Amino acid sequence: MYNLFIFIKKYNAVILFVLLELMCIIMIVRNLPYHSRKMTNVSNSITGGFYKTTSNWNDYLHLKSENELLAQHNALLQSRLGYEYYENDSLIVDQMFSFLPAHIINNNISDKNNYIIIDKGRVDGLEPDMGVICDNGVVGKVVNVSNHYASVMSMLNSYSIISCRFADNQYVANVVWDSKDYRFGLVKDIPSHLIINKGDTLVTSGFSNSFPADVMVGTIEENEDTENGLFNTAKIKFSTNFSTLRFVYVVKNNYRSEIDSLCITH
Amino acid sequence: MYNTLIRNIIRFIGLVLLQIAVFDNLRIGNYIHPCIYVIFILLMPFDTPTWKLMINGFLIGFVVDIFNGTPGLNASATVFMSYMRPFIIGITTRKSDIEGKNEPSIGEMGLQWFLIYSLLLLVIHNLFLFWMEAFSIKLFGVVLVEVLLSVPISLIFIVLLIYLLKPVKNKSNY
Repeated sequence: MYNLFIFIKKYNAVILFVLLELMCIIMIVRNLPYHSRKMTNVSNSITGGFYKTTSNWNDYLHLKSENELLAQHNALLQSRLGYEYYENDSLIVDQMFSFLPAHIINNNISDKNNYIIIDKGRVDGLEPDMGVICDNGVVGKVVNVSNHYASVMSMLNSYSIISCRFADNQYVANVVWDSKDYRFGLVKDIPSHLIINKGDTLVTSGFSNSFPADVMVGTIEENEDTENGLFNTAKIKFSTNFSTLRFVYVVKNNYRSEIDSLCITH
Repeated sequence: MYNTLIRNIIRFIGLVLLQIAVFDNLRIGNYIHPCIYVIFILLMPFDTPTWKLMINGFLIGFVVDIFNGTPGLNASATVFMSYMRPFIIGITTRKSDIEGKNEPSIGEMGLQWFLIYSLLLLVIHNLFLFWMEAFSIKLFGVVLVEVLLSVPISLIFIVLLIYLLKPVKNKSNY
C-alpha cells in the first residue's frame, strides 16, 4: 500500500494527465456526433476482425458436424432429384415427366368435394387430367384450366380415384376418400389374400398417365372390415398434409397424346 | 497568494470572454482558428506543479468548449499542453535562468525566449486540438495546414494581448 502511495506521488502528473485526457475523449465521443460515428467505425472494425478470426477457428472445430449436416442435405437433395432437379433441364429431351412448380392460392379441406386453385394455367402449358404432387406425396389432378389459373381436384374429393400399389409387393389398389377426415382415406380393391400390416407404404402405380411411378401416397393405418369377399378395404393415412399445403408441382406427361392415341385405336 | 488567486480568476474570466466573444468569431477561412485563452497556462508561475497546470488547463478548455458546443475538445488539447509545459521550459531554459523568476512573462524572460516558448506550446496545443477535431490519421495533411496557418496568427494576438495587459500584470507582481 505504501508503495502504491509512493508510485502515485511519483507519477501523479502522468496519472492525472491520463485521467483528464480519458475524461475529455469520453466527453468528445459521447457528445459530438462526428466523433462518435468515427469511434464506432473504429471499434466495429476491431471487433469485426476479432470475431472473424475466432469464427475462422470455430469453423474448424465444427467441421465434423458440418460435414454430417452437408451429407444429410445432400441425401435429401438426391432423393428429390426426380422432382426438382430436372425441372427445366433442356439437356434431357426424352424425359417422360416434367414438373412445373405452382403456388396454391385457394385450398379447402372441409367440404365433401374439395378443390384447390393454383396460380398456373393454360399459358404455362397446363391441361386437364395432369397430376399434381408436392414434396411429401400426391395432391390430386387438374380438372379445369383457365388462362392463368387451374383448379385441382384434390384427393379429398369423392370423385377422386388414384391408382396405386404397395411398395413392397407391387399389388395394385385404388385410393379414394370417404369424406370424413382430411388426414385419412380408403384403399379399395386390395386382393383379399394379401396380408396387410399397419405402416405398409402405398405409392403411385404409374399406370395412369397423370403420375410418375413411385410417388408416395400414404401408409396403411388399419384394416377395415368388409362384406366383399374378393377384395379388402383399408384405412390409409395420406403422406400429404392437405391443411398446410403451400407449394405443389404439376406433373406434365410429355408423351401423353402418344399414349392416348394408342389407347383409342385399340 | 490572495493576489495571485484574484489575478488568476480575473485572467480566466477575461480570457474566456475574449476567446468566445472575439476570437471564436475570427475564424478566417476554414483553416485559421486563433486560440488566445492558452495565455492562462503560458503565464502561470514557474513553480506551479504539473497537476495544478493540468487542472487549470482542463477548466479553461472546458469552459471554452461549453460555449463552443464541443465538450472535451479544447480541454483535451489544453491538458496536453499543460502536461508538456514543464518539458518545454526544461529544454528552453537552464536552471540558473529561472532562478528568482516568478512567471514566464515577456517582462521577466525577454521577448525572444517568450516567443520560442509560446510557439512550441502553441504548436503542441494546436496540433492536438486539430487532430482531435479531425479524429483521423488520414486527415493529417489538413491538420498540418491548419496548424501552420493558425499558430502564427495566435502567436501575434497573444503577444499583442500581453503587451496590452502589461500594466495590470506589473501591478499585481509587486
